Amino acid sequence: MDFNASRRSFLYRNLTGVGGLALMELMGRDLRGAPNFTDNPLAPKPPHHPAKAKSCIFLTMLGGVSQVDTFDPKPALKKFDGTAMDWSKEKTTDQPALFAKPRLITASPFSFQKYGHCGTEVSELFPNLATCVDDLAVVRSIQADNGNHPAAVFQIDTGFVTPGSPSVGAWLTYGLGTENQNLPAFVALPDFRSIPFSGAQQWGSGFLPASYQGTVLRWKGEAIRNLRSPEGLSGEAQSSERELLRGLNQDYLRDHFTNPDLQARIDSYELAYRMQTEVPAVLDIEREPASVREMYGLQDPVTESFGKRCLMARKLVEHGVRYVQLYTPSQSWDAHIDIRKNHLKNAQETDKPVAALIKDLKQRGLLESTLLVWMGEFGRTPDTPADQKTKGRDHNPKAMSVWFAGGGIKGGTVVGATDDLGLKAVQDVYRVRDVHATILDVMGLNDMRLTYYYAGRNRRLTDTGGKRISQILA
Amino acid sequence: MTAVKVFALLACLSTGAMAQPEDNQAIFQNKILPVLTENCAACHSVSTSQNGLAVTSYDALLRGGKHGQAIVPGSSQTSLLIQYIRGEKTPQMPLGGSLPPDRLAALTSAIDQMAPIVAHTESRDEYLEWLLKAPKAPAIPAAANAGAVTNPIDAFVLAKLESRQMRPAPPADRRTLIRRAYFDLIGLPPTPEEVAAFVADHDPQAWPKLIDRLLADPRYGEHWARHWLDLARYAESDGFAIDGERPTAWRYRDYVIRAFNEDKPYDLFIKEQLAGDEVKDSRESEKDASERLVALGFLRMATWEADATSQQQLRQDFLNETTGTTASVFLGLTVGCAQCHNHKYDPIPQRDFYRFQSFFAATAVDELPAPFVAGEDPAGMKKKYRFYEDQVDLARQQLESRKETLKARFIESKHLQPDAPAVAEFMKELNVANAFFQERTDAIFKEDVWKKYLEAKDELKRVEELESRYRPVAYSVKDLVPPLVPEVPPTYILRGGDLSAKAEKVEPGVLECVLGKSEPAQIPFRGDSTGRRIALAEWIASPANPLTARVMVNRIWQYHFGEGLVRTPSDFGKNGAKPTHPELLDWLATQFVEHKWSIKAMHRLMLTSATYQQSTSHPDWKQYADLDPGNELLWRMNWGRLEAEVLRDSVLALSGRLNPERGGPGALLDAPADVAEGFEFFKWFPSDEAEQHRRTIYTFQRRSVVNPMLDVFDAANIAATCPQRNRTTVAPQALTLMNGDLTNREARYFAERVQKEAGPTPAAEIDRAFELVLSRAPSQKERGQALALYSKFAPSEALEHLGVVLLNTNEFLFVE
Repeated sequence: MDFNASRRSFLYRNLTGVGGLALMELMGRDLRGAPNFTDNPLAPKPPHHPAKAKSCIFLTMLGGVSQVDTFDPKPALKKFDGTAMDWSKEKTTDQPALFAKPRLITASPFSFQKYGHCGTEVSELFPNLATCVDDLAVVRSIQADNGNHPAAVFQIDTGFVTPGSPSVGAWLTYGLGTENQNLPAFVALPDFRSIPFSGAQQWGSGFLPASYQGTVLRWKGEAIRNLRSPEGLSGEAQSSERELLRGLNQDYLRDHFTNPDLQARIDSYELAYRMQTEVPAVLDIEREPASVREMYGLQDPVTESFGKRCLMARKLVEHGVRYVQLYTPSQSWDAHIDIRKNHLKNAQETDKPVAALIKDLKQRGLLESTLLVWMGEFGRTPDTPADQKTKGRDHNPKAMSVWFAGGGIKGGTVVGATDDLGLKAVQDVYRVRDVHATILDVMGLNDMRLTYYYAGRNRRLTDTGGKRISQILA
Repeated sequence: MTAVKVFALLACLSTGAMAQPEDNQAIFQNKILPVLTENCAACHSVSTSQNGLAVTSYDALLRGGKHGQAIVPGSSQTSLLIQYIRGEKTPQMPLGGSLPPDRLAALTSAIDQMAPIVAHTESRDEYLEWLLKAPKAPAIPAAANAGAVTNPIDAFVLAKLESRQMRPAPPADRRTLIRRAYFDLIGLPPTPEEVAAFVADHDPQAWPKLIDRLLADPRYGEHWARHWLDLARYAESDGFAIDGERPTAWRYRDYVIRAFNEDKPYDLFIKEQLAGDEVKDSRESEKDASERLVALGFLRMATWEADATSQQQLRQDFLNETTGTTASVFLGLTVGCAQCHNHKYDPIPQRDFYRFQSFFAATAVDELPAPFVAGEDPAGMKKKYRFYEDQVDLARQQLESRKETLKARFIESKHLQPDAPAVAEFMKELNVANAFFQERTDAIFKEDVWKKYLEAKDELKRVEELESRYRPVAYSVKDLVPPLVPEVPPTYILRGGDLSAKAEKVEPGVLECVLGKSEPAQIPFRGDSTGRRIALAEWIASPANPLTARVMVNRIWQYHFGEGLVRTPSDFGKNGAKPTHPELLDWLATQFVEHKWSIKAMHRLMLTSATYQQSTSHPDWKQYADLDPGNELLWRMNWGRLEAEVLRDSVLALSGRLNPERGGPGALLDAPADVAEGFEFFKWFPSDEAEQHRRTIYTFQRRSVVNPMLDVFDAANIAATCPQRNRTTVAPQALTLMNGDLTNREARYFAERVQKEAGPTPAAEIDRAFELVLSRAPSQKERGQALALYSKFAPSEALEHLGVVLLNTNEFLFVE
């Protein structure tokens, strides 16, 4: 798995050990042409084309947000509210029992209104975000490949519905490296009340070398496990330990220089020491001014979790972190039983923090270099099972609304459309891999050229390629 | 200085290093692919192959596009690729631009460096032809340097090395060897005394004797069972949101440990796990019946969505997972691809997936009564069960009394009559989920009585869980046959894997590509079962099966050597890695069968080879590393790294606190709140301290509570079968070992131990500490560095710091 990577670093060290790059030139090797052929796998790498954003924050709305209650108003639902929905022509098999029973079209319990200069329609769920619409590009026509949570969550994170592939953040850091070597290149910020289904696999490096996997930072207690020295350990004791370890490891390396892992592990200790000073300084949220804390809703227990993580995300990209991914609690938006209650609760937890993030980035001049993506794993149905007492909505991979903002994005745009009931995307239809291709494009990478040879073929985030959502690109 | 060295290196390369046809692939990967990826792949990838040309693999270049073969290995002049890039053919490539001269030079020199292909000898079908025919013992090659051959393994390895004018590494020193053998076979470090004795033992049989001793050590099974549990996706809970406990799943873990320790023949091991209830084998007796029900746990180890919305889908998921895992673990084939469509790379039609699946069509999950067997300490189990039964009674009484107290306090605080409806309502609600009460704001929920009530409730849950783990029950399966059910459920091909898209009905049958024809399996009559699974197991566990023995010896090889002879141990198909030494693999496979499927015989064979005893360094490494960077030719020993479990066990062994207790329910390790708390459906009750010091294989494996220390060191992801561990090097590992609990806590006990065993001088203590952790005395310099600690800290504190440092060294974590 990491065989290729270790072989490369092995060769590199070998050669640098006996004369460095000059030797490589002599031997007619072209190392600059080889991707990932550097000492430090996370060193900044030139993009394929000029990047429009250098960092990306991905806001993952787990559970699947209903498009018709957020960014895709459907007056027809009101007109046909309570009438039978005809599913006979639809082939939705993830929950066959569910769709075999009679179902009723269900109007949105939320009202919509036009906002901003652009006039993009947003439901009353997002009063704060609505004030940012001139910065948003809403795409109403994204389709997922799978209507089950675990598979669909894998797809937004890795492009594939099965485990084992690298996450978007891993691909990005593999392609671009990172600017701040004292911080992780790729940070995952799950909600510890309920983390995504497959845990660390969601931000894993799959078949890419492990250097590209996401690091989880927590918003309560220690940001990184064991970041602090053990309690009661004096500074002197700590530096004595470090010094002795360095000495022993260096001597051992001298006698065993043919093993590249030894140097890599020595380097990992140095990074760990640097993180011990850098991470707490960057993440010291308590020192943020009260106005900023209020803006993100840190005092309110409802918004605290997502707010703190949005603020962390801002601070991380400010310090050169390449990719930050936030998650709402697992299945939080999964409104089968009661769309009104569920979406209200989730909107209340996230609306204010997300709006604060956009505005804060903007006022610091960071929005133009940061790409924001807001997305769930699929959309929801326009109807409810007829025998259900409360009005809910079930999974619908055929239509979802996603928005982008920030670097390289044409704010105030709306792209694509669904049918009258919001059941299926019908105009300018894009797939999850197209979202990924768009992210890579904005970040300066060509999804076809960002490849890694594994198990017999060149792998890509977008597999056989995605298409950029060109209408939203500035 | 550089000029001289450079010259020397170039000289080596130009004289000793004629590329072999097998090297072309590596030359392509290292020198050609990067240039093509950057400049050509946008239009010539697999999916965008303009004019039919893809440049993404060596084979694709040989196949070429519309205009023919793109490269001629050994001849850049005649290679179309170069002709187009140079503009000798039009249009010049890359279209609309030109390749920088240095890239072009790199390409031409790489193509020239390739070995010419005389005839296209290794077509993919020939590979399959080899793979799908039962191995025959090949002739053992004669090596020029016969003195370097300890057993036939070396003859195969040497023959290949010698054909490239290469030689193996010198033997490792004895201290390195004994550490290698200990970590490899029992997963623990040798004591200084064991090292000294082995180093001083000049008996030529000392090495084989050491191997025999370790193979007879019960700790061998505890270590090697872990490899199998990785494959079996072993866990003690369901996964998914509820993640319910599987209280007696540990019996499967102990079964595997016993199987390795007893050297259970691998063919029987297979049959027991797939068809323990149907097996009739002269090698076992009636008393093993419950053992064999436990062995069936293999079929139960997958995740299970207890609250699935569709029971039919849940059933189908179980069948799909069982089919895919069985084929990948025992046969090294990725049949899972054929769930939705014909396999794109291997000759496995979709039909075969469902025929294979049909062997399990009657299989139902079940918990079956199975008395504890001798190896499970039945008396001890019974005693523990009785003990926890009493504990449950006590806890129940305690809870009742807490309830009464609570009731009284409720009545008092609300000024109610004892028979008021509100009181009955309150008591009724107590039996419902806690969630409801969390929303209540009544004063009583902040009081001590409420807290005590919750504690009593938890305590009851805790002891109930413990009791359930000692029940004589097998976590197993059985076939449902008439008259229990009207008929064995028929199996249909599902178009696109879709349950609602049933196509042709199929009968159980083994893979056509292996059998050579498609015919229904012969199902023996088995009375109260269908006999389907035993038919499958007997086909798999047969010497005539071309895959089974090869796949298993390759796995054993991988765990010993770091990489398999096939480097994709669960994918022997066309898309997997091809064997580096096919003859050796075949020879080992035939030996395996000849030795009655004895895994221990394979260990002996592999470990007594000179190949295994090589050093990790080689005098010619610079040249060799360039020729064969992945060490596919086995010109030296691969480095190892302690696996997560071995690391934890070794730290505990070194501090003297490893609890050697064997078998039985697992220990629940302390875990940080963000890992172990906040679950809706269960609570994590850590075991007592001594229990927690057992070997890691005896720790409780709950899918949603992953121990952070084990996790960061790449423990198996227990969601699915894991044929090979990752080996990452990341900063959180450094933080874990420098700042984390395990090393800092155990270093204190380590210091105590060293003081007791060595003392009283600092030098003696330092020597002992090095000998314990690294199996060697410190150098003069190292002793001096360690002594510096004594000048700053009190002796015991200095030793503690030294302990932390030694447990963090590369020399400890990596195995030479």
